[in-house]
Amino acid sequence: MPIVTRPDFLPGLPKWSRKTLFALALFGICFAFAFPVLWLILTSLRPESGVYYVHRGTEFTLASFAEVLTDDRIVSAFLNSALISTLATIFSLLVTVSSGYMLSRFTGPASRIWFGTIYVFRCIPYISWVLPLYFVTQSWGLYDTYTGLLLPHVAVHICFFSWLMKGFFDGIDPSMEYAAMIDGCTRWGAFIRVAIPSALPAISALAVLCWLFTWNEFLFALILTGNRVPMITVVMAQFVTEMGLRWNLMAATAVMALVPAFLVALFGQKYVIRGLRI
Amino acid sequence: MFGEQQRFMLFLIAPAALLMLLFQVLPIVIGANASFRDWALYNPKKIWVGFSHYYAVLSDPAFLYTVLPNTFLFMILSVAGALVAGLALALLLNRPFRGQKLVQTILLVPLMVAPVVAAIMIRWMFNDQFGIVNTVLEAIGLEGQPWLVQRWSAFGIILLTDIWLWTPWFTLLLLAGLQSLPKEPFEAAAIDGTTTWRVFRFLTLPMLRPVIVVCVVIRAIDAFRTFDIVWTLTGGGPGRSTELFSLYAYVHAFLNLDLGRGSAAAIIGGLIILVIGVVLYRLVDRIAKA
Repeated sequence: MPIVTRPDFLPGLPKWSRKTLFALALFGICFAFAFPVLWLILTSLRPESGVYYVHRGTEFTLASFAEVLTDDRIVSAFLNSALISTLATIFSLLVTVSSGYMLSRFTGPASRIWFGTIYVFRCIPYISWVLPLYFVTQSWGLYDTYTGLLLPHVAVHICFFSWLMKGFFDGIDPSMEYAAMIDGCTRWGAFIRVAIPSALPAISALAVLCWLFTWNEFLFALILTGNRVPMITVVMAQFVTEMGLRWNLMAATAVMALVPAFLVALFGQKYVIRGLRI
Repeated sequence: MFGEQQRFMLFLIAPAALLMLLFQVLPIVIGANASFRDWALYNPKKIWVGFSHYYAVLSDPAFLYTVLPNTFLFMILSVAGALVAGLALALLLNRPFRGQKLVQTILLVPLMVAPVVAAIMIRWMFNDQFGIVNTVLEAIGLEGQPWLVQRWSAFGIILLTDIWLWTPWFTLLLLAGLQSLPKEPFEAAAIDGTTTWRVFRFLTLPMLRPVIVVCVVIRAIDAFRTFDIVWTLTGGGPGRSTELFSLYAYVHAFLNLDLGRGSAAAIIGGLIILVIGVVLYRLVDRIAKA
């Protein structure tokens, strides 16, 4: 028998009412967290004429989705966002895993300076460097191109993810790497063949987070892209102002923007939780 | 020139450092330069004007009496709200019950929702004519409100959206923290018959403090630069009453086309948060060492 019995929820009440109250509380919390999304999905399924009375109608249709999918701008925005998110994830991992490893395995001035730099840049608000980045990308001919959006996204992830990666590597015992080096492995060999495989759960967690952050990002896409590379978040925000009254189309687009993120998170959830626990 | 170890360290951080140099350091330098010039999109001469943009921003009543108080109020309330809700949910999920996995998945939903999408959902729910919130209020005999065109209700909704979005982040990290706490102190407290509140107050909270502090610091810094939900929910309106710092810089640079003044505002905000960030970091360091 375990020594610790969990403290009861609201002690003093009879057991059955405690259980009911607990279930009700749980239901209320889940409802509060899920309701906006459910409401959005419901709205997206209503026909144009019924969208203003979402709660009353019984008529459902997929017409809004079909209409949204005929809009070239929205379709290309989806493809662009998916492409940029995937590429940004790959490049960010390539860059931050090694930087986090350096922070974790070495102490001394170089490591401290690098950590300080990362922390300072993490604090600087996005607007302070994305705003002038608008001129930089324009003068380099990168404005409104894939590269011009991808590289700033990779750059913004460096600070936070190096920091997280450092924490993950801190939780992994380095003695395996020392053993490998004694057996004749180079430092690179120890890093690539020993440290990276044991950090794989954490790296997958980072990949999921990175993909979601990029997919959801708005400010960069707003400032660094124009008509050639529309991104889904920007297209949706424009929707609100330009087509504010057609809420069914708005909701259908938003629901479609949720789907990839849900899939990534659903399959990635266990990696995220496991990765954060190391 | 360098030893083998130094070269290894350098190569590990070189790609990251290069990217940061090109896409963060360089733009900041260019932005600083722009903030001292009369740099407007329609006026390419870029005349040096010294500190006059800084003076203009710092003497702008909209910046001093609306934007700055809004930003700080938003930062404090959003972090406090998400911390309290996140901690409560983490404590809830830390006890076993039937359906625990399902509840956990539902609670993580907002983490996957793009802030822009969240803002769209909330904007639709709080729509003054057709939104579900007003419909429900009217059904139970209360008067519907034009939520997003009144200053404080609009501000409250922005705040609520932000707390909804970020509570799961706190829950996830605090739950991970809770589950890695040692069991023995809790067993000792159980044997002594300590009350639930005292266990929380004198055991859980102090042991969880390092995790809490790190979460708060990260979140506070991020809350300071919030842009997307405000932009999509109210656009800073009604009037400019819900404008936050990032929005102020953006509006001046890209809507008023005054890049010099926008850059100056961005740099002032950057300096403010840098000071806060360094102070908070000292705090983390002290708590981690204590």
